[in-house]
Amino acid sequence: MADRARDRGEVFVEYTKSVCPVCKVVVDAQVNIRDNKVYLRKRCKEHGWFEALVYGDAQLYTDSTRFNKPGTLPLAFQTEVKDGCPSDCGLCPEHKQHACLGIIEVNTGCNLDCPICFADSGHQPDGYSITREQCARMLDTFVEAEGEPEVVMFSGGEPTIHKDILTFVEMATDRPIKIVNINTNGIRLATDRRFVAALAALNGRGGTTVNVYLQFDGFDEATHRAIRGGDLRERKRRALGNCAEAGLTVTLVAAVERDLNDHELGDIIEFGIDHPAVHAVTFQPVTHSGRHVEFAPLTRLTNSDVMEMITEQRPDWFRPGDFVPVPCCFPTCRSVTYLLVDRKADRTDVVPLPRLVDVDDYLDYVSNRVLPDPGLRASLERLWSASAFMNAPDTMEGLAAATADAECAACGIDLPRAAKDLGDKVFMIVVQDFLDPYTLNVKQLMKCCVEEITPDGRIIPFCAYNSVGYREQVRARMSGVEVADVVPNARPLADVTVASPYGSRIARTERAPEQDDEPGVAPDHTNVGRRAVEEP
Amino acid sequence: MTERPLPATPAPVSDPEEVKSCCATAYGSDAVALLLGDSYHPGGLTLTRRLADALALTAGSRVLDVACGPGTTARLLALEHDARVDGVDLGATTLEAARAATATVGLSDRVRFLHGDAERLPAPDAAYDALVCECALCTFPDKPAAAAEFARVLRPGGRVGITDVTVADGGLPDELAGIAGWVACVADALPADAYAELLRAAGLRVLRVAAHDGALVRMIDRIDARIRLLAMASPARMAEAGVDADAVAPYLSAARRAAAAGDIGYALLVAERPGRG
Repeated sequence: MADRARDRGEVFVEYTKSVCPVCKVVVDAQVNIRDNKVYLRKRCKEHGWFEALVYGDAQLYTDSTRFNKPGTLPLAFQTEVKDGCPSDCGLCPEHKQHACLGIIEVNTGCNLDCPICFADSGHQPDGYSITREQCARMLDTFVEAEGEPEVVMFSGGEPTIHKDILTFVEMATDRPIKIVNINTNGIRLATDRRFVAALAALNGRGGTTVNVYLQFDGFDEATHRAIRGGDLRERKRRALGNCAEAGLTVTLVAAVERDLNDHELGDIIEFGIDHPAVHAVTFQPVTHSGRHVEFAPLTRLTNSDVMEMITEQRPDWFRPGDFVPVPCCFPTCRSVTYLLVDRKADRTDVVPLPRLVDVDDYLDYVSNRVLPDPGLRASLERLWSASAFMNAPDTMEGLAAATADAECAACGIDLPRAAKDLGDKVFMIVVQDFLDPYTLNVKQLMKCCVEEITPDGRIIPFCAYNSVGYREQVRARMSGVEVADVVPNARPLADVTVASPYGSRIARTERAPEQDDEPGVAPDHTNVGRRAVEEP
Repeated sequence: MTERPLPATPAPVSDPEEVKSCCATAYGSDAVALLLGDSYHPGGLTLTRRLADALALTAGSRVLDVACGPGTTARLLALEHDARVDGVDLGATTLEAARAATATVGLSDRVRFLHGDAERLPAPDAAYDALVCECALCTFPDKPAAAAEFARVLRPGGRVGITDVTVADGGLPDELAGIAGWVACVADALPADAYAELLRAAGLRVLRVAAHDGALVRMIDRIDARIRLLAMASPARMAEAGVDADAVAPYLSAARRAAAAGDIGYALLVAERPGRG
């Protein structure tokens, strides 16, 4: 009997570029849909095939393509196009978006050694801390590129243990920067009330809003031990109490790992809504860069999984469709919702803003329809942005305008005052999946709007920084200590990796040292410099 | 008929004329505006656009919007399809608001509003290239008469686009009987096939019957969200309009259950008047 032709079990939807997670060489990649899930697959000539889940709901993935806003040109680029994405960071003139948010990592040292840390930080003697001069240069690079930058986030390591951190924040408020965030584990906020007061005193200085971005993964002791290596619950409680007392606005940031703390999403939201200091929660599926627990690439958590779990865990509050993709970056990277919160004696009611306003009509940039109310699009764009932060004036104005519109459309009466008063009743939820060396898709990277600002004056997309080799390059240059490329702690790679000095994984056999001055980041094997077809 | 706040205890409405004016009044009343917003019908602008795309409109097409409400669809058709639109509605206040909103956006030369009844349309024969009727046919007491009027005012080859509430063949589930008194469209809704049959009986050729049940679910969610927002932002305004959030909640739950069970839904129909235009 003759063999019958069979169909492939998947739909091929994208051709793109990625990197080999082991050697970081740039390789061709393809995105396929199987069983309503989206996978990225690629092959390295040396290390073979790799595949990872990138979105758990293919319908949502394809529906989201219209939430794609034309990018904005920055005022300045820092590099030239030479080898192509992702080897020219950055930003090179081919980058499709300006920076909504710039991250300044002030150190590599940390007062914790968490089992999960994309920055591979900890009690390490061989890292680096930036100087005031370097911080000034980084801030100036950002101002030069953006004019009036939206958001600077100080991160690390642990930024609050840098001796100059308050000076750094002050330096940022001296410049035309709208929002400064401190990305912290909260230990110093819990233990040093004078520091909290000093930070709060800088809030509003020079018109800059200062917020706290607090690592907060859940309530189970097991969650804390698995993700942070110790029970930090009391410290988180105190840090939040001190922030509330000092009037600092806090965003809770949860790193979410499958089967580890993914059952706590609803509880984190509810806790945040009830806490006076907290106005937002950000959920980030664990970025499998740097240090993390072993994972299975084909079943990793994605944005759609997190949104589904939120809906399952709080069915009275959420329904599918309550989260809307953010159009400034690539729409599959980040989804956001805003809740209007009504606290009653016996229960708390929430109303997700997308149920009141047709957000998806207004943030659809592909069908290019005439909008009934162009002003409302502008308000919604300020809210569905990587630079939206609760209690920052721009975000709050956007909320007041969007909510007032929902009310006015409904009843034809003027209610702007009522909408303004809603300010403290609004709660923001962000779901953000960063790319890692397994899931890296150059298509998304090229429109990234969350950037690392480096001490040597580059602006590098966050996911390129962590996945492609820039983090290792910057650390090696800054510390003078060689840093091997970090490889994901993925189950299929267990045999080809060993532990690095910092607890992350690195390739078992180093590549033969190259003779050039410097091998560069992410050499490209997608363009081999030959004719497509050999000459006869 | 005076304005009927929602959800007042339903009084049975038997006289067809009373149903029509009551429905028009209800849609013109503050309470309905409060709950449903600018785009009164399920599916919102997205479904309206889908409907418009099915009408084979060209620049300058003449369109009649039957039960046009505040004119959102009429303006959309003028803006996005360069159509000349007449809106017809029974509610005088609604028409005034529609005219005002249209003047504000400078479309008064292309969008007009007429007072009129769907069963006796104020238009000559074969006057229109297309006709839309969103979430309204279900409320007309004499549906065959309305369908005949649709066919009459369309030119040969002209299309009618309808979206409307549907019910399962077995009719309305018992627990929704309570709603029927104040939302006439639910009380008088038909199965999708029955709407198609009405159009056929009027001499129209049915081109498409498509279910859009999700639109109804989102509509229920939207009403729910608006009630809760208003309870939060302006409780006094809610009381003034006669809406009690806690009293509405069970109706909404019942409606959501019925939608999930497939007992109520939403459909889009497109039909054509035979002949060459």
